[in-house]
Amino acid sequence: MSGRIWKLARNMVVAVVGFAVVVMLLPTKARSQLGLDPCCAIISVGLSTISNLLSSAVAKPLSAIQQLEQDAANFEQQVVFPVAAINQARGLATQFQGQFAQMKQTFQLPVASATLPTAQQLEQDLLSRNPNSVSQITTNYAALYGAVMPATDAPQQVRDLVDITDAEAQAAMKKAVEIDSLADLELQAAEQINQQLSTAAPGSAAILEAQASAWLVRANAYTQSAMAELVRVRSIELANRGAQLKFSTAHTTNLHSSETQVLQGAH
Amino acid sequence: MRRHLKYFADVARKFQHKRRLVLLFVLSLCLLPGTARAAGLTDILTLLNTITSTIQNAIGGVLSGIQTLNTSVNNFRQQIIWPVNALNQTRGFVASTRSHYQALMNQIHAIKNNSATLTSPTQLESLYRSAQGRSIAQMQGSYTNVYAPVPLATDAKPIQRNLMDMDDALAMGSLKTAVLSDQTTNGMLGLADSIEQQSATAAPGSGPMLATEAQIASLESQAYFAKVLAAELRQEAAKLAHENALLKQSAANTRNLQNQIQQVLTHP
Repeated sequence: MSGRIWKLARNMVVAVVGFAVVVMLLPTKARSQLGLDPCCAIISVGLSTISNLLSSAVAKPLSAIQQLEQDAANFEQQVVFPVAAINQARGLATQFQGQFAQMKQTFQLPVASATLPTAQQLEQDLLSRNPNSVSQITTNYAALYGAVMPATDAPQQVRDLVDITDAEAQAAMKKAVEIDSLADLELQAAEQINQQLSTAAPGSAAILEAQASAWLVRANAYTQSAMAELVRVRSIELANRGAQLKFSTAHTTNLHSSETQVLQGAH
Repeated sequence: MRRHLKYFADVARKFQHKRRLVLLFVLSLCLLPGTARAAGLTDILTLLNTITSTIQNAIGGVLSGIQTLNTSVNNFRQQIIWPVNALNQTRGFVASTRSHYQALMNQIHAIKNNSATLTSPTQLESLYRSAQGRSIAQMQGSYTNVYAPVPLATDAKPIQRNLMDMDDALAMGSLKTAVLSDQTTNGMLGLADSIEQQSATAAPGSGPMLATEAQIASLESQAYFAKVLAAELRQEAAKLAHENALLKQSAANTRNLQNQIQQVLTHP
């Protein structure tokens, strides 16, 4: 009996010792899911630090950035690009559209004044504002101002002078028709650009401004070409006066020679 | 020796009875996580450090940089490019310039340059200085009153009548064009004033639109200037053609005179 008891006790001691060893070798409860462990506190402090950092290093600057963006948006909407001012500028373009049309109509009032058929024909060409009528000017010009005289009627020098003068007069008349026609096209373009402006945005207005500036440069260039033609007309006029003086001098010299010959013959 | 063998046999037999305990022990050892849990804690600490460092340096630093950048961009816009004070000052400048010069220029532009003293010239002059397109219809009669009509066919040669008619037509045409040009000029001055008036209340954003409008008006003005220039070209060309026609006439007359003299000399 005592042997059994001793045996039982010995078995129990062995079991308890084995269990104690196992328990000692286990990684403690704290490291498992139950109970309090210093690791928990570390994680808690870490998370708390992260939370504080998110508040101070992320949320705060984000809030400041949001405020800045709001200020910038307000500034742009109220100071730089106020819708009222933009609409007012568009309204001005619409108002100008009507005034441009009125001015165009004014300049289309007839100014023709000739009364005789030949003069009327030439005047019609000159005021046509149609580049296709340029080719008819030569004929109608000759009908009114005559052609270069035949070689039997005047010295070659005089005929040359008459021809170059006719050429320049006709060229100036043709140029006038061309300039009128170009001016009409410029007016059309101006109205179209203005129409576009009446619905434009501030950003696209700069593009239209560039286009209008380009057209202005073009218009200036055409005006300059007209001015050049005017300079040519006046140059030919001046040259004609000089030539007439020269011819007059030559005639006087010839007259003197003739008189001398006549007087010598009389003696 | 036999006792020793017996002892070992007893131990083996006892040991068989404790197999369960041994198995439990071995299983427990197998289930132990060993050092793995200790390594997990280090990882967590490292991870926390990494997250903290990332928030503080990478994210916080960049956000702080963006904030600084936004502040400087806003300051640049509000203090350098579009300072409200300067905008208001400029608007004030536009308004004061307008009020200062507009009246003066209008006064100068409104000065009447009419100088004719007699009835017919005064009437013609008032017509061609009227700047009213509707008045050009009356110009023909008034012009004829001053410059006389083209002579009758019985009183002048056709070439001479044509020259006179063309000269009159282009002179009158240019006078009419000048009337229309004056009217358009007044319209353009009105447009310029409207643009300036609106500039005085404009914003930087609407400024380019007004500038574009001014460019368009300038283009229109240039086109009308070209038309006036075309009228002058016609007039100058006609003057040249007229003088040339007289030269041709002179040559024709000289030829006729020579023919007549020759005839006289041939048949005395």
